Amino acid sequence: MGVTQALRQGSPEDAVDGVVPPVVAVPESPEELAQILAAAALDNQLTVVRGGGSKIGWGRVAARVDLVIGTQKLDQLLAHRYGDMTVTAQAGMSLASLNRRLAEHGQYLPIESAFEQATVGGIVATNDAGPMRHRFGTPRDLLIGVTLAMTDGRLVKAGGTVVKNVAGYDLGKLVSGSHGTLAAIVDVTFKLLPVPLASKTLVATYADGKALAHDVAVLHGSQVEFTAFDISVSDQGRCILLMRMASSPAAIDAQAAQARQVVSSAPTAVSGDEERALWEEHIRAPWALGGTVVRFSWLPSNLPAVFSLLDRVRAHGCRVTMFTARTSGAGLVRLEGDEPVLVGAIGALRSSEHVGHVVLLRASRTLKGQVDVWGKATGANEVARVLKRKFDPAGILNAGRGPI
Amino acid sequence: MDHRLVDQFRRAIGREAVLSDPVQLVTYECDALPHLRSLPELVLLPQSAADVQAIVRICDKEGIPFVARGHGTGLSGGALPVPGGVVISLAKLNRVLEVDIPNQRVTVEPGVTNLEITRCVAPSGYYYAPDPSSQQVCSLGGNVAENSGGAHCLKYGFTVHHILAVEAVLPNGELVQIGSPLADAPGPDVLGLLVGSEGTLAIVTKAVVRVLRKPESVQTLLAAFNSISEAGAAVSDIIAAGIVPAAVEMMDAVAIEAAEAAVHPNFPSADTILIVELDGPSAEVSELFAVVESTCRKSGATRVEIAQDEAQRARIWKGRKAAFAAMGRISPNYYVQDGVVPRTKLPEVLGRIRELEKREGLRIGNVFHAGDGNLHPLICYDERIEGQSALAEKVAGEILIYCLEAGGSITGEHGVGADKKEFMPKMFSEDSLEVMQSVRDALDPKRLCNPGKVLPTPRLCGEVPGPYREHPVERAGLGERF
Repeated sequence: MGVTQALRQGSPEDAVDGVVPPVVAVPESPEELAQILAAAALDNQLTVVRGGGSKIGWGRVAARVDLVIGTQKLDQLLAHRYGDMTVTAQAGMSLASLNRRLAEHGQYLPIESAFEQATVGGIVATNDAGPMRHRFGTPRDLLIGVTLAMTDGRLVKAGGTVVKNVAGYDLGKLVSGSHGTLAAIVDVTFKLLPVPLASKTLVATYADGKALAHDVAVLHGSQVEFTAFDISVSDQGRCILLMRMASSPAAIDAQAAQARQVVSSAPTAVSGDEERALWEEHIRAPWALGGTVVRFSWLPSNLPAVFSLLDRVRAHGCRVTMFTARTSGAGLVRLEGDEPVLVGAIGALRSSEHVGHVVLLRASRTLKGQVDVWGKATGANEVARVLKRKFDPAGILNAGRGPI
Repeated sequence: MDHRLVDQFRRAIGREAVLSDPVQLVTYECDALPHLRSLPELVLLPQSAADVQAIVRICDKEGIPFVARGHGTGLSGGALPVPGGVVISLAKLNRVLEVDIPNQRVTVEPGVTNLEITRCVAPSGYYYAPDPSSQQVCSLGGNVAENSGGAHCLKYGFTVHHILAVEAVLPNGELVQIGSPLADAPGPDVLGLLVGSEGTLAIVTKAVVRVLRKPESVQTLLAAFNSISEAGAAVSDIIAAGIVPAAVEMMDAVAIEAAEAAVHPNFPSADTILIVELDGPSAEVSELFAVVESTCRKSGATRVEIAQDEAQRARIWKGRKAAFAAMGRISPNYYVQDGVVPRTKLPEVLGRIRELEKREGLRIGNVFHAGDGNLHPLICYDERIEGQSALAEKVAGEILIYCLEAGGSITGEHGVGADKKEFMPKMFSEDSLEVMQSVRDALDPKRLCNPGKVLPTPRLCGEVPGPYREHPVERAGLGERF
């Protein structure tokens, strides 16, 4: 390949969902990454681009992986233009370390990850976000520029470093959620927010979903502006509603008072370190134990129907815990049970008219062998396939694993 | 156009939906960038997605270029007809199909106006956030094509942040559903690519948009400063205080003078005025608004006026929003530019613009979205004086170079269209432009879908760059420019 220093032999630690790549490349520069990718394409080497590896198991099981390209040496913060509230970081920089650096100037990127080692490149590639998406959207909504390495070895840019810009096609959006199927992300530029002056979370518990769904609907239509507004439901049906307010001190108190008037169960308020720990645990909970983790979404008004659906799944012997279920209609469930039960549970979710986009994020290889990870192809994915043929004519990028 | 082809269109969508009379076609020869004009061969008025599909299929089969058009308020020639081609007007696809308040979603056809969406949901206390100042007349389909912004996009984002799904006809005539009313559709964000692609990748026939709950409180102030740098410092300090205003707008003395002459907003006479608006929960707004006010005073504001009621707030905004059209009161002709600089570079770039003004001898008014660094220099000239039109164009181009040198963009909201495609190579490398072209070629291999826009091509014959002229919509008082 001509860049041999960057190459080493693959080991079990490099496995992609159980498939050990014979070769691993860890380029030290964007140019080197692009060169390696081009060489892999010429040679039809099936290639997986890997950031921190926190979500490397997401996707179908690969029949073969010839090459893993790791971005861990592309981990620099390229520019924090704090006066302009934008940042450019290399793809391999972790979200956690990025946010630590941004905090030095009282700013942050309002994206949360369940995984300490998650990189900004991986977060864009999966468009994975935490509860603050309620207010700030997913990574694609905060991304303003991108540099990509194409399979023909070119480094290209789209967007820019200013928050307002409509020049050219937004290739950054296109690679958001692409799971490494179109190009390798080299660096990303985000718009940022000031760290809020104060923050407080109200925690309300409910014995069942009905009362919770009622409160959620009322709050959804109110003028209380939550930064995060999440629920979790245990296998026994105990429901928790988390309402985070982040603003000026007087504002969060006033908002908390408004929310208390709506919520039927008396909520407790947490702030400071306790609040940080609460959210961290909430975000990590789906992954903390074993089990199959499934992402799905629904129209907010269908929340009661979603609860009934999960009850029906439970009735068939599947343990179901619902996490980080954004009240705006997206969440994760952890399913536990033997394989036929899991297959049945996923089938029940996919056949329900009340939920959609049922995707297996974490599942055993055997379960993935029985149930498709991504489910029915969307119209967008049909279009994306046409684009992929231009971007990756050899079809090497995350071949057979990704959504397209 | 060949009668055989005209008959095909007539059979497909009905005789009365095919305009071929040159008198009728003239209406469609330009959008709100009237110095670029080209008469289409036909204008087609589909009434359904199936009609759009039928038209595009004929175009695809016969090799006829086509240009989709909303209500023609675009400022970059994005809807400029193509010689030998047809214009597909989406004006008759103007139904609001579904209003779903519990889920905060509205489904519309592309010819629905931006403001119509808000009108539909306002009785329930909701609104559609993107607010280009042409919002009374501009179409949602056009907003999707241009990724339209507005004064309030600093806090609320652009069209791309508010569109959940679209139905669209691809250049081969296929009807596709892109995006989803549900969150987290797996796969590449094709919707995000489509929004802002300026009608070059598909024609949207339906869109599901997100509407927001109206904020509990809105407060607006106007502060006068003796210099742009003082006003700029105030903006920096407001943002450094952790405040994200709903809007931060600035106008310089030339723009203030023009606005006063046109709509009499009773602006103070000053070198620079700053308009800051906060919205959100009442407690938050009142607490932070006090910070904004004291920051303005500390930064040297000579006068601070706080809107006491909706009427006063509307008056301030009227002065701001009328600024473009108002230039006509102080100059026979003017050229509207749209460029972006990093916010912190505003004083530096405005300084360069003022030097340019002195050097070239043309007055330049500045109206801009100070929160996000989006400049709208208004270059005054008189086309009756020989050479001034060309000089204004040169000055406008020079300003874009300043924006790029400061690390900015050649367009923040008006789009590249036909107007600025020759500046694209100054912003993007050849490789980047080629990859963008490959995206286009993947979906439009025959290059029939709004050709000659966005990406650079050799200039078309008869395409003469020139001055701003008042659009009929503006003349009729139906809309203003931002």
